[in-house]
Order: sequence, then structure tokens, then C-alpha cells
Amino acid sequence: MKGTTRRQFLKQTGGTSAGMASWLALGRAPAFAQQRELTFLSWNHFVPASDDELRKQAEAFGKQAGVTVRVDTIAHLQLPAKRAAEAQAQSGHDMLLTGGADPFLYENQLADVGDVIEELGKKYGGWYQFAKEGSHTSSGWRAVPWFWISFPGTYNMSHFKTAGLEPPKTWDELLKHGRTLKKQGNPVGIPISHCADATSTFWSVLWSYGGKVLEADGKTPAIASEKTAQVVEWYKELYKDAMEPEVLSWDDASNNRFILSGKGSWIHNPVSPYAAAVAKKMPIADDLNHHNSPAGPGGTHSAPPINSMAIWKFSKNVAVAKDFIRFLFQKPNYDPFIVASQGFNHPPLRNLADHPIWAQNPKFAMLPKEAEFAHERGWPAKPNAAVQLVQVNYVLPDMVAKAINGMPTKRAIAWAEDQIKLAVQGKLETKGKA
Amino acid sequence: MAVGPRALEATGLAQPGRLARVREWWEQEQVFGYGLILPALVLIVGLVAYPFGMAIYFSLSDYWVGSPGSFVGLQNFRDVVANEIFQRTVYNSFVFTAIAVVLKAVLGVWLAMLLFRNFKLKRLIRGAVLLPWVIPTALSTLAWWWMFDSLYSVVNWTGIRLGLIAPPGPNWLGMPGYAMTAVITVNVWRGLPFFAITVLAGLVSIPREYYEAAEVDGASSWGRFRFVTLPLLKPVLAVVILFSTILTFADFNIVQILTRGGPVNTTHLFATLAYQIGLQGGNLGQGAAVSLFLFPMLAAVVFLQLRYIRRD
Repeated sequence: MKGTTRRQFLKQTGGTSAGMASWLALGRAPAFAQQRELTFLSWNHFVPASDDELRKQAEAFGKQAGVTVRVDTIAHLQLPAKRAAEAQAQSGHDMLLTGGADPFLYENQLADVGDVIEELGKKYGGWYQFAKEGSHTSSGWRAVPWFWISFPGTYNMSHFKTAGLEPPKTWDELLKHGRTLKKQGNPVGIPISHCADATSTFWSVLWSYGGKVLEADGKTPAIASEKTAQVVEWYKELYKDAMEPEVLSWDDASNNRFILSGKGSWIHNPVSPYAAAVAKKMPIADDLNHHNSPAGPGGTHSAPPINSMAIWKFSKNVAVAKDFIRFLFQKPNYDPFIVASQGFNHPPLRNLADHPIWAQNPKFAMLPKEAEFAHERGWPAKPNAAVQLVQVNYVLPDMVAKAINGMPTKRAIAWAEDQIKLAVQGKLETKGKA
Repeated sequence: MAVGPRALEATGLAQPGRLARVREWWEQEQVFGYGLILPALVLIVGLVAYPFGMAIYFSLSDYWVGSPGSFVGLQNFRDVVANEIFQRTVYNSFVFTAIAVVLKAVLGVWLAMLLFRNFKLKRLIRGAVLLPWVIPTALSTLAWWWMFDSLYSVVNWTGIRLGLIAPPGPNWLGMPGYAMTAVITVNVWRGLPFFAITVLAGLVSIPREYYEAAEVDGASSWGRFRFVTLPLLKPVLAVVILFSTILTFADFNIVQILTRGGPVNTTHLFATLAYQIGLQGGNLGQGAAVSLFLFPMLAAVVFLQLRYIRRD
């Protein structure tokens, strides 16, 4: 009895709430749904107004659907542990914020959302390619991409002007410009340390040079290549000729301070430094501008943070949760969500991307284009458990740091390959045999 | 309690006989004794023994977040030992703990001797010394993190202004040696008061007569310290060092805030690596294996030290 009730119950509740769309259209709530509560576990957005807008919309949806919607936000560093605990306990929230490898790690714990994906895709001009890379598992769609955060180049226009330079179009050009700029007293900065930005930028550069960490099968290490060697050599020269040693100890906020201090001339980051400068009325805001992430011999690629929404299979409110997702993506709702985030929240759907907040600001106009070359980390492999381990163990920036500290490039790459092999070992059969 | 039954009788409650029987049962020594232990036992089983048992189980299984794993024996331990990052972590932990504990012990005794003297505002200063120990580590470490910042290091700025350091000064958190120095410095700063105050308590309990006798025998101040103070402090010191070794081995906050294990894993400790692999990476099995490596080592330390204390 114990084994069957939950499944049966899910089926039953799923059946009854499938009719929800129809009474949603009627605009009134059936009596039985009055005490229902839909809960959503999300992060503390770094622009708090974005969370306020989300809560406002949650309330509006709640009124419309006759449910109470509770949005709980916690620090993003606490999310992994909380997610793990809920999956373990098979109880907790109905919906949760996911990203990176989560849809794959929790593949068998998350409800299929293929219907929502198809519907929204048709309605809003299709999803960008990164949506499928990060949320579509071998068993179907396990998450709905929600918003991504652009990761362009930020440069100080007056430092570039003094040097008589244009913003770099390629990583190679960045190195050349950087040499001049460092001599001028305005080095460029890419963190090579234990922080998230360090890996984000490394993926961009690696992909732009045609390199990869894993083959598309997700288990064959592919880091040991001539292309990776080129990337490491490029980093070494950039470190020596265009940066300061401080990049070896940077955290995620260091490059912001570096460019805001007026010393730095270029960083690779979300547009947060500019936003902070505008908000605090710092004079440097006028000098800052953005350009698309640089290209390499293998094209332009970037690894921006991509956030998605998923629904636990154990939830008794799967259908309501899906309706809530549909609701959030309605243009009259998604637009204010973009505005509340000051343009940080980029839509994963093409027809939502032409928002005036970017189009009308010359410093932001190029940002939506970043979606075209965004990938989930691990690409061309799917972001599996091994990718996540490589990511959290900072294997990639550490490989570069080792080479910079004097280890021969080949040995540094071999070290990284060892780490990747260890991460891959026997851990790749589908997780979550729930 | 003794008035209980009589008071109940007075209120005329029915069946005082049953109550009396319950009371009689309760007051039996083996029942009452275990009853008193029960709350503590529940806490220990629930919050210590159960998680510990789970950790052991995790470490022996292929357990990932969200997916119950199968039993894999010692595979996790073998994987972990083969990993260069883990080897580096073991090395770091020993260097970190050895240097930090020795510094804390030496400086702690020294500070305690100073605090033992009579001086103005003695109470105030004795209290103030405890501050680093009392302030939440996460908070005070943030201040240190800012002092060691690559861009705005107060340490470097002061050093350069005073002509002690050649500009631009050491990259505290970016170079392996300096980063280790930084985390050890903060750990010593934080742990020192614990040593000093505990040793001070030990000092206070040493009878003055011993010193007077030693002085009569013509002992120098070093002699008095070496042959009176130190031997009498030994039990206190041994216990403090024992505690400190355990706490230092298991340190997490300082490294997590200052370096997150960087640069290139040269400051990773067991706890930070376990957190990284187990919680951030989702590999609970290996994460548990990393953190359990501490256990046999600490158990050995405790065993040796307690035996040493008892032998004396």
C-alpha cells in the first residue's frame, strides 16, 4: 500500500488539476482549490526589485488561479544544499530555481515540462539554442529556461581613447590592446582564481579557440588538445603583459572594483559595474561602455549564467505550477520583470528580447545579441555531474594558474585532464533513480 | 515535589493510588537516572550520532544529491586519495594546523603571563582580549579579507608608507605562500584568546608559595617559569592544545571567506574541500569521504593526548 499511494495520488491530483486551464479562462476559482498553496524556491536576486516584481506577479496569479503562491528566496550559495535536501526528503517546495547541471542531476526527480516549452516557444518566436543545451535531457525537458544574464566585455572608453584603440573584437586583439593599455597604467583584468567569473570567462575563451572540456558524449575528456594549449599560452601572455598579479586572488566582485576604481581598462563580466556606477552616480559611469564578448578562431561563444525553473515530480501541484510558469512568461508580465531587474534578466525567448530597455540604450543595445552565442557549461557535452565537479573544483582556472606559476603548459593540461578523468569516473549513469 | 501527592489529595482528585504508583516507578533509581539522561541522549543521537552514521554510509556509497547510490565499499576513499587536490589538502591541513597550534600555544602562554600581572584597567583589557574569539568568525574574517585585498590591502598600504615593503607589496591571497600565511595569521588571531584565557585560569590556580620557595632557592625568572609554571600548566595546556588541534583541523570559515581554497588549492582544508565536492559538486559520497578522513586522525590525536595526560 505504501508504495502505490503516492503515485496514485499524484495521478489523481494531476488529473483533477489538468482542467485548471479551462477554469482559468473562466476567471473564477473552483471552491476546492481555495486552500491550495503553490510554493517556489528561488534565490535572492542581486537586484532585489526583481524579486519584488516576481512576488507581485505571484500574488496576481494566485488571485486569478485561486491558490496562494509563496515565493521563498534564499542566498544562491544555499540553493544546492536546499535542493538536495528536498530531493532527499521528497517534500518541500513545488517549484525551484535551477541552473547549470541541475536539470540533468535531478532528471528523474523533475516533472516533464515539454508541453510548456512547446507552447511558449510557438508563442514567442522560439527558444535560443542554449535553452535546449541546458534543460533538455535524454528523457525530455526537465526545466523551463527563465532568464539569463549577459556576460559582455566592459571597457573604459577614455583609457581606450587615450591609447587610440577600439574595443577588442577578438581575444587576440584584447592581448595586443592589453599590452598597450598596461604600459599606459590601465591593465585589463580576467580573474584566474577560485571564483565563478574565472570559469565563465575561461569557457568563453576555450570555445572561441575551438577547444572543449568533454566530447559531446559527456564522458570522454577532450581538454588535452593543441587548442587548449593555445588558450593557456594566451592566458600566460595576457597575465604577463596585460594584467596585474592580483587577478590570481580575485573573487567575483574584484573585477567590478578594478574597473570602478578607474585603474582597469577592460573586464569580462555582467553589466553590474556600470549599473552600480549609475545607481551611485559615480562619474566613471560616463566612461564605461560594453561590447559583445570577443571572438576567436572558432567563432564567438560565451557562458553566461542561465537560470531556469523546474517542478519537482513529488509536487502535488504540477499543473498549477505549469500555469504559473505560463503566466510569468506572458509579455505583460515578463516585460515588467525585465524592467524591475534593470535589464539584467534577459529572456530566453526571441520575441521577448526586443525590449526597449536594451534597444534604446546605446550602452546596452548589443546585449540581447549575446544570446546567440551563449552555451551551457560543458558544451558540446550536456552539463552533467562531471561538468559540475570540474566547475566547482575550479579545475579550469587552476590549470591556467599552474601554467602561470611556472608549470609547463603540457603538464598543466595533463593535470586538468586527470581531474576531468576523475570527475567522469563511473558517475555518469543517469542520476536519480527515483 | 514532596508536597505533590498531598496537594493532590487535598484537591480531592480521584485515584491518588495510580499517581502514587507512577511516582514510585519514576523514583526508582534506574528509571529516574535514565530519565534525566534522556534529553541529552536524544540530542546527541539526533544531532551527532545520526549525521555521523549517515556520513559513514554516504562515504561508502555512490551517493549523489538527489539519487540514492549503491554500496561501493572503499571506492570513494580510493578515488579521493588518488586525487592530487586531496593530496594537496592533506599537506595543507597539516602545515596549517601545526603552525597555527604552535603559534597559538606559544603566544597564548606569553599573553597569559602578561595578563596575569597587575596593571591598570586589568579587567577591561582581560575582557577585550577575548573579542576576536567572541566576534562571529564570518564577520571578523571579512575584515581580514578586506585587509588582505589585492587592490586595497591596508597591510600593504601601511607597509609601503612605512617603507617596510617594496611596492606593490605581496599579493596576499594570490600567491600560495602568502595565502597560507594569511589564513594562519587569521586563525592564530582568532584562536589566541581561547589559549590566553584558559592558560590564565591555570596560572591563577598555581599557589604563590611555589614561586616564593623557588625564589628563596635562587631561581631566575626563566627558572621559575621553566620549573614551576610550565609543569603546573601542563594539564591545562594539554587540554587546550587538544581542543585547538581539533578545531583548527576542522576550520572552515576562515579559508572559505579568504581564499575558497585558492590559489590553486594551496589553502584547501578538509572541510572546505568536502564542502566543495559534496555540496557544491553534488558528489556526497566523495565529500563525505573527504570529511571522514579527519576522523581517524582526530581520534588518534585525542587518544594519544588523553593517554599522555593520564600518565602524568
